[in-house]
Amino acid sequence: MSEQRLEAGDAALELAEIERRQTGVIDAVLIPRWYWWAVGLLVVPIGVTVDSHQRIATAVVAVLMALVIAGLSVWMVSGSYPGARIQPATLGSAGALYIVGFVWLVVGVSLVVAFGLQAAGVAYPATIGTVLAAVMLIVGGPMLMTRLRRTMVARSVGAR
Amino acid sequence: MTEARFDEVIHAPTRLAIVALLAATRWADFKFIRDRAGLSDSALSKQLTILEDAGYITIRKAFVGKFPRTSVSLSKRGRAAFNGHVSALQQIVAGAGASLRAS
Repeated sequence: MSEQRLEAGDAALELAEIERRQTGVIDAVLIPRWYWWAVGLLVVPIGVTVDSHQRIATAVVAVLMALVIAGLSVWMVSGSYPGARIQPATLGSAGALYIVGFVWLVVGVSLVVAFGLQAAGVAYPATIGTVLAAVMLIVGGPMLMTRLRRTMVARSVGAR
Repeated sequence: MTEARFDEVIHAPTRLAIVALLAATRWADFKFIRDRAGLSDSALSKQLTILEDAGYITIRKAFVGKFPRTSVSLSKRGRAAFNGHVSALQQIVAGAGASLRAS
């Protein structure tokens, strides 16, 4: 009986160790808070230049910011930043849906607000729209990461 | 359904740490594994060689710019072995729970 208990105890400890290691990986690959601040702050100049009605400046700023945001995002998502890429099975379809849903929510809400304000004749509609997008990214990004962390920890092999 | 199979290669504490973290990733850098597992370069290399010889991992070496980069991923066989090992551990724990309830 004691041998059985000891073996079970060791097995439980080993499972706990597996879960601890996998949770550590999940924490390491989550997108850090500074990324959401960076993307949020990079979006605002696009709105400001759109409202300036200077086509060349708008095109240059929009392309430049889009390139920086895309580069930063690829660096994060590809796994180059943390040094590891999460297993898709750990993220799961629910996790992927949260990410896609969040992106659509930010883009959709900010565009609807910007065009709505423009139609209503409000000054600086693009600036307001992009500031709203920035706030959603800065506030919602870390919330999304908290949600993804919970999903991934629950799906990790050690937790099953 | 994963077949429960206790795996002596994975059971060793250092290799368990390495395989557990690799199981959560598609791939991981040598440096990432080293730092997460708290191992020296040589200790990690030794364990990776054992896992590679068992057919549990794949090691890729490439250059990113001028810098060499070694990435490691769990092979299909390694993932199956890890899942089987986890199932075996879960069975031991569940079996003990059942026998304790019965006694």
